[in-house]
Order: sequence, then structure tokens, then C-alpha cells
Amino acid sequence: MSSGDRIQGAFIGLAIGDAAGWPAARHRSALLAPWSRRLERELDAFAEEHRVTTLPVPFTLNQPVEPLAIGPSDDAEWLAWTALTIHQDRAEAFGGLAGRTDLRVRISVRAALDNLAAGKAPPASGHDNPHHFDDAAAIRAVAFGAAAGNAAADGPCAAVPAGRRRAAVPADGPHAAVPADGRRAAVPADGAAATAEAGLRAVVRADASVTNAGDGVHAALAMAVAIAVLVAGGTMAAAVEAALAELPEDTAIGHASRTALVVARRAGDPFAAVPALDAALLDHVYSYGVAAAHTVPVALALAEVSGGSLSAAVPAAACLPSLADSAPALTGALTGAFTGYRALPEGWRAAARTLTGCGLPELAGTDLIDIAGGLA
Amino acid sequence: MKLTRARGCLLGLAAGDALGRPVENLSPEEIARRHGRLTEIEPGKGGTDDTEYTIFAASLLCRYGPAMTPADVAREYREQIIPNIDGPMRGAGFSELGAVQALRRGLEPPMSGMWHQHGWSDGLAMRAAPYGIFATGDPGEAARLVAVDGVVSNSVEGVYGGQAVAAAVAVAMTGASPGDVVEAGIAAVPEDSWTSRNLRAAVSAVAAGSVERLYQAVVVRHYPWTDLAPEAVALAFAGYLMGAGEVEDSVVSAANLGRDADTTAAIAGALAGAGRGEIAVPERWAREIGPVTGRCLPVVAGRHVLDVATELVAATENRAAGGARGRAVAGARPAAGVPERAVAVDRSAGSSRSRSEG
Repeated sequence: MSSGDRIQGAFIGLAIGDAAGWPAARHRSALLAPWSRRLERELDAFAEEHRVTTLPVPFTLNQPVEPLAIGPSDDAEWLAWTALTIHQDRAEAFGGLAGRTDLRVRISVRAALDNLAAGKAPPASGHDNPHHFDDAAAIRAVAFGAAAGNAAADGPCAAVPAGRRRAAVPADGPHAAVPADGRRAAVPADGAAATAEAGLRAVVRADASVTNAGDGVHAALAMAVAIAVLVAGGTMAAAVEAALAELPEDTAIGHASRTALVVARRAGDPFAAVPALDAALLDHVYSYGVAAAHTVPVALALAEVSGGSLSAAVPAAACLPSLADSAPALTGALTGAFTGYRALPEGWRAAARTLTGCGLPELAGTDLIDIAGGLA
Repeated sequence: MKLTRARGCLLGLAAGDALGRPVENLSPEEIARRHGRLTEIEPGKGGTDDTEYTIFAASLLCRYGPAMTPADVAREYREQIIPNIDGPMRGAGFSELGAVQALRRGLEPPMSGMWHQHGWSDGLAMRAAPYGIFATGDPGEAARLVAVDGVVSNSVEGVYGGQAVAAAVAVAMTGASPGDVVEAGIAAVPEDSWTSRNLRAAVSAVAAGSVERLYQAVVVRHYPWTDLAPEAVALAFAGYLMGAGEVEDSVVSAANLGRDADTTAAIAGALAGAGRGEIAVPERWAREIGPVTGRCLPVVAGRHVLDVATELVAATENRAAGGARGRAVAGARPAAGVPERAVAVDRSAGSSRSRSEG
């Protein structure tokens, strides 16, 4: 298995997770006419008013049905956008989006674009932001981690010493692929590797600071280093350990990540861990479920306890309804980077690779495999 | 003089809370459409969580004084607030309920204020005025003390919002000009913060006489909730400046700016009332302010802001006289076995509520 296959695994894994969560159909229905979505909202009100438990689902009366087939939505598009702009200055790349009226974006990104348009540069654009804590940057960080992991795997000064790489990836299944030597793989082998790691942190911080602050930035750093370890051939245990090193214990995300790992390990497998994760992490006080301090801990815990199996970890993440927009995507990125693209379920690979442009219209029809190939 | 300012501060706060209550979450345009210019408190309805949490904060100060620690505050939440939550936690903002859930999990401050995502909530700013009264003339001490309470329920910008209000009230209590009061609020928070940037933008927008510019600078357009402290505190200070520190004009200006109108008008009322004193609160508003019902916080039911203000002043004077430094004021701690209110009321210590009764 090559690092190129693992990059494709990270990208398509993220897209599979993105597609697996229930909000994907809501996002993709943005491609339908506005009246069709308005009808769905009215049917929701109808159910409330008439006290019926038959709830409306996204539907397409008189509209093309393709958008409502299983497929990727906003997170896969933001990953692709990040890969396509990866060599640009981050504030500049986002500046190109500021003022556009045809985008559909997270609240953190919307507030950041408004800040940029008003002349407020990063890091204030991400800090003066009601959703500075969300996982928008953690999703984007997968692209930076993949590129860095690829460089490490190919370069003479690999971030993952050869002795700590996996010899081969066993068949996709729980617990199958965590070797006894689960030590952190991204330990710098020499000065050049340390420089590469510092460079990864710098670019991820620069990108994350445009839209996020605090836990939102910690989350991006954690996802980037974990993906870098995996793409370079490290173990899932090493990737989780590298992520934890970016999540200080005295932050909400640091505390939640360590808590999530404890309860998931105790539960023993991803699906068994779902109620325990819900109880340990979620207070259900707030109206949105994209807090990085929730989604990243869940992704790390499920990826680890699944032994790196996307087929075990992603469905479990999708079973936490309030986190289903992005926790499955983050989980899919970690497990897909671990197994590589070719080990992912074929039906899902086919369903997840083509973007629809439901968030970033210019990406409609884009093949995520091509985008991932651009980083390899 | 200090007593009338303290009573004006909390009466102004309660009046602002009551005036703003029916227009919370509305835009200025919608308020204008429904009310023209909103100047009258809806009769018989009173205020909300702003007033009740302010009374709770004052009771903490009377009990613990300047030696109060976050652990003391967390314990008070666990003993006074959490056991009394029966069913819905009425009037609680995100940060209060988030903190309660964190405390129920066994988390301690400051993690209790970080565990939930609403550290930026204006829940501390709304209850910050008593810290300014307690530390009259010492904005640094007001900002330090309010953060002791604040880290239990808030983090970063939510704490800064409370610090800006507490420091500004501490200076307003000296009769300083509105410009100096606002500067003291700005000086209490880090320059590189959302709160500071918004407060400075609010000052220049008001100087330019432009509500549109104020909105552009401090209101987050694409966010459905209005309880962001950097936004609410900026709108409150703007209302106070627009009203030139007069109680009625400040409160009316803040309330008619909309958004988290009960909280912003309450803060503007606290600043203006501290500056102008109890007598400057319009009589027709004062008549509408009775003892709180405990609708949001059962533990404070029956308390009147004017009594609370009087107790606060007594507590600070007791402290100044060297008695019971860092301890409760005499008589404030209920005897063992007596069902506790956060503070036992020593009615004889306060002057009468002549205005509300007259």
C-alpha cells in the first residue's frame, strides 16, 4: 500500500462518512428548488401541529432525484477546496470567497467571511466568531495532514521512522490492525523531520485561524498530525497519541478526547460505545452539533476502538444524531487514511467520490479521487 | 451618596430588564413597527433572569466578600441553584444551563465554564453590576472579582464581557462621565479581544451618530442567537453613550437597539443608574419593579433589588470598617439548620422601599 492510496483513503473515507450522516441529504437538497425545501419545512410543522410521528424526509416532488441519493456533501467539498488551494496563502484563499452569495457554509465560515469582508484579518476573523469552536478547520486539516504525511513517507527524512511503520495492513476488521508497538509514529527522526512537523503545524494554524479559535484550532492541529502519521504508514494508536499531544488537558477538547477514549475502550467496540459517548460528552443544551470538542473526540475514540475499520467506526459515529453532520466524516478520514482507499467498501467508494456542489457550486461534478491524486 | 448610586444601579438594571423583555431578539425595525419608540415597561410583568442572577451574584459577594473563590461559587451553584431546578430551567441562558450540566457531571471551574460551547454568552455581563458596586472606584478589583464568579459559567469573551461591565460600574459609582466609564470598561479587558474591538467600534459608531455603523461593527449577522457577550456589551455601552448617561435615555436607547434587549437595557440601566443615583430612575418605572418572583432562580424569590443594593453597600462598609474581612456580613449567614436562602435578609439594615411602595 502506498501513501498515495492512503491519501485517497483519507479523502474518500471522509466523503463516505460525510455521506453516511443524516444531514448529508439536507445539505444535498440545497440543489433542489427552494419551494421543495419549503414544503419539507411545512410538513415538519404539520407533524408538530397534528401530533403525528410520521416525520417528513427530504423529497423531490417534480424535481431531479439524483441529489437525494446517498453521496457526499459539505465536508467533502471543503476538503476538496482546501486541497485545490493548498499552495495559496490561507487568508488570501478565503478572501477569494468573501462577498460571494452563492455559497452554503458553516456559521463559523460565514462569520469569518463577513469579518474578512469588513477588513478583519486572521486570527481575529476566527476569534471574533460565534462558532470559533466548531470543526470546520478540523475537516480542512485532513488535506494538510495528507500532504505532509505523503512528503514524510516519500522523503529521505521520513517523519515516521521505518521501524515504526506497519509492514502491511491486515483485512478490514475491528482490532485487526493495531500492532503491539503503538508508539507515537510522528516522533521526528531528525532535524529535517522536526522542521517538517513545525511547518505542518504552522500552515494548519494559519488555515484554522481564519475561521476558528481555541478548541477549533486545537482540533485542526490534532486531525492534521493524526492524518500525517497514518498517511506516512503509522499505526492508529500512534495517530491518536499524536493527536492527543495537540490537545492540552486543560481545554474542553483535551478533556473530552481523553474521556471519549476511556469510555470507548471500556465499551470495547464502536457500536457498543455509542451510548457511553453520548452520555460522557453531550449535554444537549445547544442548538448545533458541530463543536470540535465533541466531534473530534468521538472520531478519535471510534477510530481507535475500531482498530482502524471504517466499516465499524463510521456507522457508529452516524448513530450520534446531533454529531452526525461531521463526526462520521472525521471518523472516515482517520480510518480511510489507515486502511487506504482500496480497502474501503466498493459500493461506498463509488457513491462518495463525486461532489455535487451543494456548498461550493464550482465543485459540482468534481471527482475527489482526482483531487486526492493532486496531493500524492 | 454611595447608597443612592448602588440603589440606582440595581434599580436601573431591573428597569432595563423589564423594559427590554418584550423586545428581546427583535431588530430595531421590528421594535419600531410594533412599538414606535419603546419607552414603557409592560405593566405587571417585571424582569427576567438578568435581575434574578444579579441578586444571586450580590448574595455571593455579601457572603464571601473579596476572598471569594471559584470553588465557593461552584458550591453555591450546587447548593442553591441545582437542587431547586424543578423541571425547566426558566430564563437560563446557554452559559448558565451549560455550567449547571458541567457541574452536575462533577467538573470544577474553570472547566465548568469551558466544557459547554457558550463561554461567550452574556450571562456574566448581565449579573456583573454588583461587583462594580462592591469595588466602587476600583475597576481592577471589580474585574478581578467578577471573573471569580465568571469562570464557573463562562470562558474568554464571556468573562471579558463581565469584566468590562463590572469595571465600568465601579467607575460609574464615582460619578464619572459616561466617556470615562466606558473607557474604564475597555481598559479592563485585553486590547486584543473581541470585546475590546467591539467596544471601541461602538464608541466610534456612537460618536459618528450611526446606528447602522454600530450594527455593522458589532452585530453578527448570520447567527440566530443574540446572547453573545461581545455584541451585547457593545450594544449596552452604545445605548448608555447615546443616552449621555441619563437613566431613561440610556435604557430606552439600548432597548430600542434590539437583539438581547433585556440584557443590554439592563446593563445600560446599571451604568446610568450608578452614575445618576436612585432618584434619576423614572418614577413610573420604579413602580413596576417589585420583589422578584424567583421564576428563573427560586432561591432569590421575594428579594427586591433595592434591598440587595443596600445590603451590598453595608457589606462593603463593614469591610472598610475592618470587620469580618473576607467573611460574610454580620447576620448574613443563616444559622445552621435554617433552610438557606443565598443571603438572609437583614431587613432592618436596609432603608425602606419607599419609592416602590409610595
